[in-house]
Amino acid sequence: MSVFAVNYLCRELLRDHAFRAAMKADPGKALAPLDLSDDERRALLSGDVGALYRMGANGFLMNYLARFEVCGLNREIYSQRMRAVKVDEIGQPVA
Amino acid sequence: MAQIVAGFGVPHTPIFPHFVKRDGPDCEIARLFGAQQEQLAATRPDLIVMFDTDHLNTFFLNDLPIFAVGIDKDFKAPNDEPPDVPNYIVKSLPGLAAHIRAAAIGSGFDVGMTQNFSVDHSIIVPLHFLTPEMQIPVIPFFVSGHVPPLPKAQRCHDLGKAVARAIESWPDRLRVVIMGSGSFSLEVGGPRMAASRSDGVPDPDWALRVIKSLEEQKIDRLIAEATEHQLLKAGNVGGELLNWIAMLGAIGDRKPTYVAPQMQNGHAYGVWRWN
Repeated sequence: MSVFAVNYLCRELLRDHAFRAAMKADPGKALAPLDLSDDERRALLSGDVGALYRMGANGFLMNYLARFEVCGLNREIYSQRMRAVKVDEIGQPVA
Repeated sequence: MAQIVAGFGVPHTPIFPHFVKRDGPDCEIARLFGAQQEQLAATRPDLIVMFDTDHLNTFFLNDLPIFAVGIDKDFKAPNDEPPDVPNYIVKSLPGLAAHIRAAAIGSGFDVGMTQNFSVDHSIIVPLHFLTPEMQIPVIPFFVSGHVPPLPKAQRCHDLGKAVARAIESWPDRLRVVIMGSGSFSLEVGGPRMAASRSDGVPDPDWALRVIKSLEEQKIDRLIAEATEHQLLKAGNVGGELLNWIAMLGAIGDRKPTYVAPQMQNGHAYGVWRWN
């Protein structure tokens, strides 16, 4: 379940200031040692939080990507991309 | 014997300390928390037991209890950098915390624990406003309200009753206030957030319905309606209502002194006083 690694690294952005700095400086390098699938790595590096949400990543935790402005994200871009995800009544992604 | 003297329902929006610092003591947030602070001081509490949903900071997805008690002589906060919240050390009562856990387990609730822990904004933001001197010890009682499957509302209400029995069987004379922390409808960082905000209120009708049930003292109705589907429909942190329901279980069937809504945030400030 590598989506765990996505969720974990989002919280590490909050916890680990060295990792936060590394993600701001060079996300590709910072993510290189992490156990991510190719799809997850690609989505993270392009700031595609909608794709990550559809893969099962946690929206609350991914909000740290916007808060700390990594992977090309800021509050506005994050909000646009996340709000574009189609979900059902309880927030689960739909096709 | 320890006795429960009041119940409080509190919001914990992490940006509120920043807003109050920016907007001053007359802003709505400062007034609403200020009114609760006065009510709390009037209860002369010796201890606060706070039902709270940790935001994956004290615990995480690798280690996530449904229920857990924080047991230590003190704990640090915040561990998630909410703006304009200083670093606090909050006193606690580990003997009573361990007793509450043991008694709850004895009542059939398999409650986990944490020691040598820190907590996030969901506990420290209300305390920042209500007990800024951190003079009152606090026992955190964690209820999993964000990551489904969620515990059932009835289970949380029954848990509150078990916690009340545990407190009331403690020999020291303590005046205990029970708090429940959280929102009724809120989405943080998920697809149902509002434009140009980092959160949103996906189900304002539900938040109003909750407030009505609290005001009308229709707690059985609230519990029946607070299904997992409804809590998730209310947002990805909509399960925080379970903390209020656990608090209501602990204080017994009572009419609120007041419930002050803040609908743009999908939450309210509630006070139940009788003693």
